[in-house]
Amino acid sequence: MSDSAKLVTLSSAYDDLQHRTLSGIPCDLARLIYLASTRDYNSGVYHHEGLSARYGPESTRVALRAAHKDIFYRLMALSLEELVNELGIYVRISREAPTGFIHAWQELEPYRVAVPMEVDSTMVQLFHSNIRLALEVLRFRQEHSQPYPSASSLQPLLGR
Amino acid sequence: MMSTAIFVAVATLLVLFLLLMTKRQEAEEQERDQATAATRCECRDVLQRPELVLRIFSREDREFVFQIGSPRLQRIYQEERRKVALHWVRKTSHEVSRIMRTHRLIARLSRNLDVAAEAKLLWQYLELRFICGLLVILIETLGPHALHDLASCARELSQLISQTLPDAAAASSVASSENPGTP
Repeated sequence: MSDSAKLVTLSSAYDDLQHRTLSGIPCDLARLIYLASTRDYNSGVYHHEGLSARYGPESTRVALRAAHKDIFYRLMALSLEELVNELGIYVRISREAPTGFIHAWQELEPYRVAVPMEVDSTMVQLFHSNIRLALEVLRFRQEHSQPYPSASSLQPLLGR
Repeated sequence: MMSTAIFVAVATLLVLFLLLMTKRQEAEEQERDQATAATRCECRDVLQRPELVLRIFSREDREFVFQIGSPRLQRIYQEERRKVALHWVRKTSHEVSRIMRTHRLIARLSRNLDVAAEAKLLWQYLELRFICGLLVILIETLGPHALHDLASCARELSQLISQTLPDAAAASSVASSENPGTP
């Protein structure tokens, strides 16, 4: 396959992933967790059966890796307040009790495996730190019975 | 006389502290250089992104946390940001040292060295190391928003002084009206 043909296949795989799969996920944090779950823990290689069948395993891997990084950078660009809202949406769609969710995330720190590979270490530190802070804010709101952001205030985030 | 001696002692201690810190960092850097080849895989363009620095030292985030009004949350925020800010300063310093080491090795083999350019580069490098050392001290002792806090403190103090000394304010306004050319 020529280089231009490879590029077209890769671009199609990326668009397909964006429009068919990721657009159905309501927030960027959930998209990040989903993309991290397509990555093998031992090898760091991404897998997606449906995309591989259409575009081949190599293009699929590259598309998944690129989408994972893009969403990570998008999350890194959010302010702490926006990240708290994002995490609030993720808690809601997880359908877990917020108290249990926050406790589990603070204990197990599952967000650590959600970071893409080959990303600047300061950025990774900042991401972990921001998630820890967002969890603390949600915990504080939970303890003081402050409601989660209203549906109307979440619209800009949901539409991203 | 006594105050001069105290000033000299504090300045000496500060310089010694900076030197010790630089030595420790050099040792750590060499260890890291040998041990982690993975660091080299990191995207250099990402490291240079100014947005990253803006996010670390973001006033917007601090205001958000302080608006919530929980002292515990404020303490956690300060601690979290302090850690990330220190990591960023040390990493920046480490990256520049690594580049300088490579440059030094290349310069040794070069036959036509531009002494002036090399001296300028060395000066800039020392300046950066000094700023990084100073930033580490400020962040360690006063927190990640140290510079902004110090500027705010100076502004508040100057306002306090001008409020407590109305004569001085009047005198300065008279002086400026007499010399309209002076700011």
